[in-house]
Amino acid sequence: MRQEFYKTLMSPVWLVILVLAAVLPPLLPSYYLHIVILSLVYVALASAWNIVGGMAGQISLAHSLFIGTGAMLSTALLLKLGVNMWLGLVISAVISGAMGAMIAWIDFRFQLGHLSFVLITLAFAEMGTVIVEGWDFLGGASGLLLPQDKGDFLAFQFGGGIGAFWVMLVLAIASILINVAILNAPLGYYLRTIRDNENAARAIGVNILRYKVAAMVISAMLSSVIGTAYVRYLTFADPYLLVSPIIIIEIVLFATVGGLGRAYGPAFGALLLVPLGEILRGKLGGTLPGLHYFIYGVVVIAVILMSPRGLLPLFEKWFSRARPKAATTK
Amino acid sequence: MAEFLQALAQGLLIGSTYGLLALGMGLVYGVSGVVNFSHGDFISLGMFLCLALYSALALDPYVSLVITVPLMTVIGGLVYWYLLRPMVGHQFLMVVQLTLGLSLVLQNGILMVFGGQPARTPSVVESKLLILGDVVVRVPHVIAFVVSFAMAIGLYIMLRSTDFGRSIRAVHQNAHAAALMGIDVSRVQTLTFALGIGILAIAAALLLPGTPIQPAQGLRYTVITLIVVALGGMTNFVGIMLGGLIIGLSEAYGTIYLSDTLGMLLPYGIFVLIMLFRPQGLTWSSSR
Amino acid sequence: MLEVDHLVTGYGGVPVLQDVSLTLSAGEIVGLLGANNAGKTTLINSLSGMYAPMSGRIRFEGQDVTAMTPKQRVEIGIIQVPEGRLVFPEMSVRENLLLGGINARARTHRPRQMDHVLELFPRLQERLGQKAGTLSGGEQQMLAIGRALMAEAKLLMLDEPSLGLSPLFVQYIFGIIDRLHAEGLSILLIEQNLNLTLRHAQRCYVLERGKVAVEGASDVVKDDPRTRRAYLGL
Repeated sequence: MRQEFYKTLMSPVWLVILVLAAVLPPLLPSYYLHIVILSLVYVALASAWNIVGGMAGQISLAHSLFIGTGAMLSTALLLKLGVNMWLGLVISAVISGAMGAMIAWIDFRFQLGHLSFVLITLAFAEMGTVIVEGWDFLGGASGLLLPQDKGDFLAFQFGGGIGAFWVMLVLAIASILINVAILNAPLGYYLRTIRDNENAARAIGVNILRYKVAAMVISAMLSSVIGTAYVRYLTFADPYLLVSPIIIIEIVLFATVGGLGRAYGPAFGALLLVPLGEILRGKLGGTLPGLHYFIYGVVVIAVILMSPRGLLPLFEKWFSRARPKAATTK
Repeated sequence: MAEFLQALAQGLLIGSTYGLLALGMGLVYGVSGVVNFSHGDFISLGMFLCLALYSALALDPYVSLVITVPLMTVIGGLVYWYLLRPMVGHQFLMVVQLTLGLSLVLQNGILMVFGGQPARTPSVVESKLLILGDVVVRVPHVIAFVVSFAMAIGLYIMLRSTDFGRSIRAVHQNAHAAALMGIDVSRVQTLTFALGIGILAIAAALLLPGTPIQPAQGLRYTVITLIVVALGGMTNFVGIMLGGLIIGLSEAYGTIYLSDTLGMLLPYGIFVLIMLFRPQGLTWSSSR
Repeated sequence: MLEVDHLVTGYGGVPVLQDVSLTLSAGEIVGLLGANNAGKTTLINSLSGMYAPMSGRIRFEGQDVTAMTPKQRVEIGIIQVPEGRLVFPEMSVRENLLLGGINARARTHRPRQMDHVLELFPRLQERLGQKAGTLSGGEQQMLAIGRALMAEAKLLMLDEPSLGLSPLFVQYIFGIIDRLHAEGLSILLIEQNLNLTLRHAQRCYVLERGKVAVEGASDVVKDDPRTRRAYLGL
């Protein structure tokens, strides 16, 4: 199983991505660079969520808390207490991890079914929104404005545009690689066992609590770090964008459209839908606000009805049919 | 003391409509196992349809019901038949994602048509007040209370003593056996979903007078409904109506006696505790 | 009255019933025997329309019913009393009976049928307002049969009516089955209880792993060595 991971790591695809990453961004108009960065943010977030939502089969809607903590708390720490944002990133990630561990523990302790888990995490997400909007330290309803990005690396500044692109690229790739690593490690195996039949997993002595906590903590910390990087790129910590349950619903839908539980599925969904949505918003957002969300909704409904396992398996099938020699190994 | 009584009246009156919102969701869950995360967006749809009818024909929200109830009922039936019925037998979680997708479609469809600015739909009774000693209540709230309870009682009687009502309960208690009785299970599920959405059209009009509406409100209503349902037990009629009153009261008292934020957190806190310590709140309880 | 022709039914592409043919004439009691997993319940549910057959035909009173929905089959009088009785536990006995007669053909005759059922099962008369879930196993079996009669069955299919009942109740239920037969009802009786079925049925089929192993008049089937073998699943 480990070889599988190293094989992925050695794949020539990375070289292609690296070359493209080095050459393309400076050539792109800033508007398209923005779309690329945004896509990478969602690739990273959807892949991070996949560890819990896809592999362990638990539709967590509480991830907006982790993203929100990463974004709002690190910003507040910098602005209100002068804490370096690198340190803020670590503090936020640790707190997110702790919240994740708590949610996983609650899930285990009370043996919530899948449905109760969705509902409870939705309640947590809503509570998070209410708290952020009502607590001035975190910026309240009006949000917080970060100082201008002057490219001071030690202050967690990357110089906007191309710098942000590299940060997001690293995070997106890291997030995907963590997916690949987990899928090919015992943790991934146990998570799938728990997802497919928790009682059977319990019966054969799988330490369910440990794996649930592990998955949730990894996923939560990753989401938090991405949240911090995202807010640095946005400069404005907007609670309606970063803490609202809408962000997590979007992520769930991207992951579903791409293919849940697969290493590249959620990334695929995000890469497909974010540019589509952003271009629609750019072209028609003025006259038809909400059109891109509307389209996301239509796409996810269509995909669930026609190919419930997501679009990636569908593409793989086409691909392997077009090139029968290159049969995909599973 | 006056403040206490005022909050009591306010909480009870609004809570009754929360109960009505939850009855529809409970019925649907009981018959087809679907937890509809676009529930609140259908409430939005009902409200904005009233707004549209007011803008176009100057109809009072209560009068608009003549149009919105049949319309929403038909929409509900179509949604179940074409979107949810094909999911029978699939993993239940896919239905969650599907209704989340539906929520985005509804919310943003409304946004595209009506724009994002908060809007109001006036009604003739909007500013009328009823003064009972120290307590002042708004007439729309009284109407909401009376209609909600009348609807709940009507639904209860329908479930108890009509063939359609008995079919609904039969499908809930044992869908296989119901099919063996010659009950068309898909049809009952579709009609129940349509009924649930039709009820929302009424609840929307009851909540509308004096309430600013905006497209993004749907999720909040979904969550409130889920809280009430979890509190009362998915299909326990009395429990759901009581759950509605409790949430109405906790909102009313929470905002008076606690800070705004804590007041708004209170229902969620109650919800989480209920889910953890009384998980059967989400299953059927004794009086099905 | 009922002709099943080379029926193949299965789940997920795997056939459970492989080429089953059987007939039942009006007014007959036919027994369907077999070990667990022989396909008895799959067969009865195919006859009720709960599964679409992979191939083969089912005819009832000369009419091809293969493609009919469960609802349509109930409406032409093919009624099943399911294994485990499956009464509606949270509804009263009376409501259960009313639901039995909910199909379009029986609906208007419910008061008359109700009188008939209550005369057949005086015990149910006493329990009319009680929740079905609180009845004893034997009483639930009475209710399940009564509920099927409310549907104005022409063909009554009973799936394991003796399951989990005390010997006294088994005797009583089979007495009722004999009486219904005497009144002219056609009955398909699915049972594990070999001797009981052979005694009450006129003809029997023995299913073995989804195929008919033995068929014929009850005393012939009784003496056929293949019956015991199929039955013990050897």
